[in-house]
Amino acid sequence: MSEPSPAGNFRPADSPSYESILQCMRCGFCLAVCPTYALTNRERSSPRGRAALARAVAEGRLEFTPAVGEEAYFCLDCKACTTACPAGVRVGTIMEFCRSQEQGFRPPSLPAGALRDFILKRMLPSPALMEGSLLPLRLYQRLGVQWAVRRFGINRFLPGALAKMEGILPALEKPLRLELPEVIPAQGKKRGRVAFFLGCAMSLVFPEVSRQTARILSQQGFEVVTPREVKCCGAPHLAEGDRDTARRLALTNLDLFLGLEADAIVTDCAGCGCALKEYEELLEGHADHGRLGRFRAKVRDVSEFLAGAGIRTEELRPVPMSVTYHEPCHLVHGQGLSGPPRHLIGKIPGVELREMKESNWCCGMAGSFALKEREASRKLLERKLAHVRATGADALVTANPGCHLQLAWGVRELGMKQPVLHVVELFGRALPA
Amino acid sequence: MLTKAAIDRLRQKVGTGNVYHEREDLLVYGYDGTPETAGIPDVAVFPQDGEGLKAALAFCRDEGLSLTPRGAGTGISGGSIPVRGGMVLGLTRMNRIIEIDEENLTATVEAGVITVDLFNAVASRGLFYPPDPGSQNVSTLGGNIAENAGGLRGLKYGVTRNYVMALSGLLIDGTEFFTGGKCVKDVAGYSLRDLLVGSEGTLGIITEATVRLITPPQDKRTFLAYFRDIRTAGEAVSRIIAGRIIPATLEIMDKMTINCVEDYAAIGLPRQMEALLLIEVDGHPAVVAEEADGVRRILQEVKADEVRLAANAAEAARLAAARRTALSAVARVSPTTIIEDATVPRSCLAETFAEIERLKEKYKVRVATYGHAGDGNLHPTAATDERNREEIANVHAFFSELYDKVLSLGGTVSGEHGIGTAKKAYLLRQLGAGGVAVMRRIKDAFDPAGCLNPGKIFLDAPAPPSTVHPGGKDV
Repeated sequence: MSEPSPAGNFRPADSPSYESILQCMRCGFCLAVCPTYALTNRERSSPRGRAALARAVAEGRLEFTPAVGEEAYFCLDCKACTTACPAGVRVGTIMEFCRSQEQGFRPPSLPAGALRDFILKRMLPSPALMEGSLLPLRLYQRLGVQWAVRRFGINRFLPGALAKMEGILPALEKPLRLELPEVIPAQGKKRGRVAFFLGCAMSLVFPEVSRQTARILSQQGFEVVTPREVKCCGAPHLAEGDRDTARRLALTNLDLFLGLEADAIVTDCAGCGCALKEYEELLEGHADHGRLGRFRAKVRDVSEFLAGAGIRTEELRPVPMSVTYHEPCHLVHGQGLSGPPRHLIGKIPGVELREMKESNWCCGMAGSFALKEREASRKLLERKLAHVRATGADALVTANPGCHLQLAWGVRELGMKQPVLHVVELFGRALPA
Repeated sequence: MLTKAAIDRLRQKVGTGNVYHEREDLLVYGYDGTPETAGIPDVAVFPQDGEGLKAALAFCRDEGLSLTPRGAGTGISGGSIPVRGGMVLGLTRMNRIIEIDEENLTATVEAGVITVDLFNAVASRGLFYPPDPGSQNVSTLGGNIAENAGGLRGLKYGVTRNYVMALSGLLIDGTEFFTGGKCVKDVAGYSLRDLLVGSEGTLGIITEATVRLITPPQDKRTFLAYFRDIRTAGEAVSRIIAGRIIPATLEIMDKMTINCVEDYAAIGLPRQMEALLLIEVDGHPAVVAEEADGVRRILQEVKADEVRLAANAAEAARLAAARRTALSAVARVSPTTIIEDATVPRSCLAETFAEIERLKEKYKVRVATYGHAGDGNLHPTAATDERNREEIANVHAFFSELYDKVLSLGGTVSGEHGIGTAKKAYLLRQLGAGGVAVMRRIKDAFDPAGCLNPGKIFLDAPAPPSTVHPGGKDV
């Protein structure tokens, strides 16, 4: 067999490495955990199938066909297969590269392309532009629009997606980014100084959650620094295949946060945390290796940080309720964090944690998937909520804004009783007033 | 080459969404878990019921296609690879558990039911289906039966064959068969059932099976024993068996396996040790206590370097789950993993380990060894790279010489994975021309035209070169 050229039928820029694809030895363990395979029972919509398609492209046996692009976007990038893979294959990451490839091979037509460019390259990188926008549509929704416009034509697409968009969006409040003090002092005996990475979705859609995060960190003895110059973490760009803009944003955040001299960089958004932890890889060759390593070593999800630091429980008040916990993909699979959020929940006096089945399965939000693939998304959501209902818990706890939106929408649609809470919202209820 | 009209006709009969013929789909139904080999079917069909299945078979006959049955595609001897193209017949959409009969202690399932789903369904009724192949979370019962799959509990509970009571399905010419039943005893005629179990999809298409269920053990205890010399581990296994103790599980992992599995599972396995044994005794609490004492005594006698008792059932389950990942975890080291299935009488384990060590040295290959030591069933797995032809040649030479030894000890070339495409030459070596010829006659009686899963088991009748797709290449 002749040695294939490095990229085969991939475009050279931002192509997945051949080694990363070859790592798959096709044992099929991933089939048991892949939500899109569970939906379709179609091998090409499984991690093993997607890796095989990428391999065929890399080996020049297959062009980068529209079907390969479709599979790259049909992948939830939930990374459940990464957790399940003994061989260490990261199909989600390979599919992110394939999304980039799809953008290169088949750039979206006008005006969808212009809209996409505007969102990814102008609006998201600029918090002020995003916050100032009058449209009650945010990141995920916008990306969903451009996708569907491109694929199906605007008329066929709009009614369904708009209905879901309107349904899913809570009333927007004033962005927290401009409200939160840049420095919040530590309470009690000071244990350190943390930089709070305030994500776009948190600031805009869930300001109350991030207010709790800052409050808890301070109550637990940490000085909280929240820089207003923070940029989007780049996760939406990676997900949509715009690696250039993602790198630009990452470089800005890297400089900004390293300059704060904090002990840790903490976020309460699983999606941001996952992206921040991947800066090292994203910026390889674009920034100093040592600085990337230092940055990576500081990034923590809020539950990971608090569990690691040890939680002060003396002043906590009982919160008598039962909860069940939905694990965000970007926390459990993206960052391997399954224990810390449960640890946090377990420290709250009076809270009973009732485990649901398949707690680590995707809720069907998956960035813009919920809008692009509404039928598939709804099936995943219903599967999830059936497990929630079976627990009979008083509340549904999670730790990521995307899941939060989707779950809250589903709970309302199905008339379920459980309010959806971020784990820090629950913890916040235990803090002294 | 199938025409669009033909595909449309097939779609009408089987359902549009159950027929794939786009190139991207065909590419991913050409492989299973076997390295170094893949094919490309002309069409892949996933019937949802018996009618669809019959229609698919009729289509194959009309179009002169060969047919390769497929479960989850997790086999590791090439059994479900369509080496001559034709139709891949997927059975994963026929996946109903038809009945759990609590009076007769049986379950009847369609071929596409996933092994662990059956396990869980019967467990919820207080019953136990023991066969647990490494891929049980994905593999199908049909595939397990076709390959006569084993697993971690084989030592005490046996393999898939020991649980199959009845089978029904279709021969390639459309003949329906039903063999066996719910009777505990049945000697009416030849046991076609036993012929079909382990036939690797070359004799007939199994669509439904009735399996025997047992009551689960009341108690269990799980040990981990570590060794600085793998031969001592082999000796411990032989002495446990000779000591009349039959654990449910008696698994071995060598140093390289321990390290690969630990890299993935991070459960605190001892990276510096040369071998570990995972030993589980189960049954009535009094028996478990007695056997646990016996195991502990033997481990002390052979001077195991450390013996640990799993704290609880959850830890025991984690250990077994980690062991199941061994094959795939070895792929962390190198992209191609070539696994073998050498099985020897259990008294010969220490000698076999010594031979593996000698041959690793001789051929300069990296081999991780693990397996069902209590069954004498080892899975030496070469970590290699199929792009490196020289190294691959060494790996095959290593296995070839190892099999000389295994056969000289009265062993077998496959304990539980099957022959498929991967071990045809070794089978001939083990059985001789006469033994293979008898099998060939049986195959011809079931499938005279040789259309059902061609290119498997038998070394004769090589495929025309134009249709062979080695090493992941395609047409």
